[in-house]
Amino acid sequence: MSRVIIRQLSLLLITLFLISLLSFSMSYWFPGDPVTNASGIPIDHPRYEEVFEKRGFDSNIAHQYISYLRSLFEGDWGQSMQDNSEIWDELSLRLPATLELTVIALAIALCIGPPLGIIAAKYYRKPIDQVIAFISLAGYSVPVFWLAQVTILIFAVVLDVVPIAGQINPLFDVPAVSGSILIDIALSDIDHKWIAFQNAFLHIVLPAIVLATAPCVLLVRFTRASAIHVLQQKFVKGAYARGLSTAEVMFKHAIPNTMQPVTRQLSTAFSVLVTNVLITEVIFSWPGLGNWLVRSIYERDFPVIQHGLLVLASIILTVNVFANILQAWRYPQVRQEFYAR
Amino acid sequence: MLDKNLYYEVKNPSPLQLVWQDLRANPISTATLYILGALLIISIFGPLLAPYGSNEQFIDAVSLPPAWSDQGDMRFLLGTDALGRDMVSRLMHGARYTFGLPMLAVIIAALVGCSLGAISAVNVGVKSSTVKHLLDVLLSIPSLLLALVIIAVIGPGLSNAILAIALVFIPQFLHITKNAIADEQKQPYVLASRLNGVDNRYLFFSVLLPNIIKAIVMHLTIALSAAILDIAALGFLGLGAQAPAPEWGAMLAQSLEVAYNSPWVMALPGLALFVTLISVNILGESIRSALDKRLGS
Repeated sequence: MSRVIIRQLSLLLITLFLISLLSFSMSYWFPGDPVTNASGIPIDHPRYEEVFEKRGFDSNIAHQYISYLRSLFEGDWGQSMQDNSEIWDELSLRLPATLELTVIALAIALCIGPPLGIIAAKYYRKPIDQVIAFISLAGYSVPVFWLAQVTILIFAVVLDVVPIAGQINPLFDVPAVSGSILIDIALSDIDHKWIAFQNAFLHIVLPAIVLATAPCVLLVRFTRASAIHVLQQKFVKGAYARGLSTAEVMFKHAIPNTMQPVTRQLSTAFSVLVTNVLITEVIFSWPGLGNWLVRSIYERDFPVIQHGLLVLASIILTVNVFANILQAWRYPQVRQEFYAR
Repeated sequence: MLDKNLYYEVKNPSPLQLVWQDLRANPISTATLYILGALLIISIFGPLLAPYGSNEQFIDAVSLPPAWSDQGDMRFLLGTDALGRDMVSRLMHGARYTFGLPMLAVIIAALVGCSLGAISAVNVGVKSSTVKHLLDVLLSIPSLLLALVIIAVIGPGLSNAILAIALVFIPQFLHITKNAIADEQKQPYVLASRLNGVDNRYLFFSVLLPNIIKAIVMHLTIALSAAILDIAALGFLGLGAQAPAPEWGAMLAQSLEVAYNSPWVMALPGLALFVTLISVNILGESIRSALDKRLGS
């Protein structure tokens, strides 16, 4: 097991190194001055000389890369070219907002997806299975931005049960401490905390459900396929033959075996989630990383693009590697596969 | 007159023909074949078939609902948008951007990726699992994010978006082909052909290719659906096709402001996108199950 962990962590280190290398070279690939692209300080700025030297641009490229890494770890991520805000400060407010949405959507997907898939497999080729299979295929094919627009039109505009966009009603004036609105309300000392919670909940429920759709139907499909395969195995028949009840067979024998290939796909579901969070944030004006990144690509705000992409890619890679480790820890069969050369 | 079929012979259809027969036997996958065929024709000949130009404005018919409602006009079957442009024509012009171009990009990516993968598998034969795991991890970054990286460097625009999508899918096809060939090369029939003394070209085209076609075709449908979704998403975010272009994602983005007053402007491009994607996905699913049945898992 420790071999798997060391191997996976070294893999993570190598990939993170490659990603940082990519991010570093982006300041050369972007049009314009590499110093400006990396730090957001324009050429005629009085601090330009200082930044030029600090980033090692008077020396060779290896030195530049090391200086880049140093400023990355020091939290000196440069400033945005649009509004001169410090990228690190902005990011530490926006990342929790994105993570809040992502975690809630992932929780919804995990609570709904696998059980539906198992129900569908249990009633394979019965009407209930066909309904679930069709819904999952439709949900898999619906573009998230259209789904978001339609749900906004129905639930926010016509029925008027939830707000259209944003994180919370600005009247509540919650001071931004962590960026994640639910934590911020808990930390703040405003009056009517409970009403603020309700308001924030109403704001988050629609984007979270829209965001959860894609990973949820993905999990339904994976679980269904895997459970159908497992339920055809002989040990299931054997379990029934020993006189176990359906519930015992399902919970003790079928479901644990079903979940093995499904855990493998958790990282796939997570990358789908991260792709969709970019789009969902834009539609719901959620003040998160995706919204900021898309705007910065549109405005050609190079330091923000560079660091935003770095953060998103590192999150995905880290989650992927930890999903691998979890799987190897939980399933010895998979561990054997990782050992094999 | 000579009968060409002089001898009675039993014709056994090849596995791929069997797959095709399976597809045609299933009514739903046949329907998706027709839908995709129609989309292909529309994306090639759309501008000739469409009743009006994509940006032709009718000042007397602004925000008309579809023809079957009371205020509708038979000239505009699916209504007009806020600038008085015919929705049918815009959708037909847009099929080229949202279905035709991603398909072209995926085919090019598949050609380049598969040949590179085959070359690297046949010639180099690196068995390093570290490289394989490294690629596995790197490929877990979603395609839209990679496309965003490329667009961030070369700038927004439709042609850049298409280029980005094609570039993003090349490594995936490379990886798939390389892995499939690496798996097949361990099989005894490949060794038998080698012992027969065939050259690398024959080994690849006649021995290996028929056996890895399953993996490639399966990934082709997945990649096509992802590419369509990505190009529409980029258009929606304003990073792909730009404003007046009738790309379906960009049309959805423009419909945001008028969604309440004229919901059909928002519903139609989304519906078109949905039908396209569900057809591609159902077809991919049927091809997968047919291939599994005929070629073994």
